[in-house]
Amino acid sequence: MTEAPRVPALTLARVFWRCLFLQAAWNRRGMQNLGFAYAIAPALRALYADPARREEALRRHLGFFNCHPYMAAAIVGGAIHHEEQVAAGAEPGQGPLAYKQTLQGPLAAVGDGFFWTALRPFFGALAAVGGLVYGIPAIVAALAVYNGIHLALRIGLFRAGYRRGDALVSTVARLALPVAADRLRAAGAVLCGLAASILVVRAGAAGGPPASILAGLAAALGYLALSRGARLLPAAYVAALAGVAAALLLGHLHGSG
Amino acid sequence: MAYLVLGLIAGLAAVERKGFLQAMLSRPIALAPVAGWALGDAAGGLLVAPPLELFWLGAVNLGAAVPAHEALGTAAIAGGAVLAGRALGTGVTPEIAILAVLVAAPLAVLGRRLDRAMEGGLNERIACHAEQALAEHRIREAIRCNLYGLAAPFALAAVLAPVGAALAASLIPRFLQAMPAAAAPLRLGFFAFAALACASGAKALRARAAPLFFFAALAVGLAARLALRGSGP
Repeated sequence: MTEAPRVPALTLARVFWRCLFLQAAWNRRGMQNLGFAYAIAPALRALYADPARREEALRRHLGFFNCHPYMAAAIVGGAIHHEEQVAAGAEPGQGPLAYKQTLQGPLAAVGDGFFWTALRPFFGALAAVGGLVYGIPAIVAALAVYNGIHLALRIGLFRAGYRRGDALVSTVARLALPVAADRLRAAGAVLCGLAASILVVRAGAAGGPPASILAGLAAALGYLALSRGARLLPAAYVAALAGVAAALLLGHLHGSG
Repeated sequence: MAYLVLGLIAGLAAVERKGFLQAMLSRPIALAPVAGWALGDAAGGLLVAPPLELFWLGAVNLGAAVPAHEALGTAAIAGGAVLAGRALGTGVTPEIAILAVLVAAPLAVLGRRLDRAMEGGLNERIACHAEQALAEHRIREAIRCNLYGLAAPFALAAVLAPVGAALAASLIPRFLQAMPAAAAPLRLGFFAFAALACASGAKALRARAAPLFFFAALAVGLAARLALRGSGP
């Protein structure tokens, strides 16, 4: 066994940049396998001067891989940590693979639950309400904050994976992402309700009190219909056309009154 | 020229959406104003951005699920609305916006089908090509294959978004010129759609008490508005 070689900082930065392309060729068979191999390739080049060993390392990273794209940065960092051990002869070649296989499922679940169903929808709703009230500057501000958080977590997870290897799990657990996700989802629902109230008022300004009532009904009945499994696009057509029909009916009644 | 610009923006958004970065730049709330700005009417894009964002708030890639292609739908809707508004000389109005939604929103569903076909067909062939390249010791080629996957989403969105926008931009002015009396009812149709979009957003958040939070916030927002009006001069 020799002293573990280290991947240079600049190469690590390059690997992180390539992590952003993780899903470029997402496919049903290997899912993010091509993206993972593409991301880790510069680190393998730094660790294995021998082309045969480099090819062998690349082959193990071309196997099936699927995780949340933000959380995957942690696994790429951790896989480099393990590859350094393999390159030094301190660990068998299966080490990085076992690491990936163990963590990809749990981290995918945490990432989907936090980023995709909580943080991003929350900021989407926040930007929508901001856009309705303050216009483009509010949208830019909301997206800037979202990306500040998302990139800080993505970079932090990559560094934690690389530095801590298997101890990454405790780092992720300390973040308490599921608890934060619950609060963000609740806050997001509140923002959607506020957006609906703004639109109900604007409908009233455009078409009088009946238009307000109509928009309020669309929000309430729409929620109930979607909760009972109505499909989104047909529901949109029904809402829009029902609005048109109601306006025509009101106009007719008003004209004949 | 406008269609080329729209195609470029839609293509880049389709890439950002899944293949690169995923920083919400392809979400309707960002994409619609950008598309509007590129076509000379950022305010027009802004009119459709919040309802479309909330409408497609639940369009996320969970595991192997393929969601509606909200970026393609948004680019076509915003582009079509802006171009129709320009043709009518009014800018984007709620009646133009709702007609653009009705004409171009199905592209998001078509985009999902094409995404699914691409990931199961073309991208699998790229993966096989990478494995073959590695078996032949062409390491660089095996690594580079990943980037080939960016081409098809770009091309599909770059072609389909301008087609959808062109369809909307050609139908909407004709319809509104032939039936000017439809403008007022369509305006209400827009608000009904936008209100439904808010409900769709709340539903997509999957919070345990989402209905309570949604309806309570709606009631509080309306009450606050009424109180402000009541205390006004």
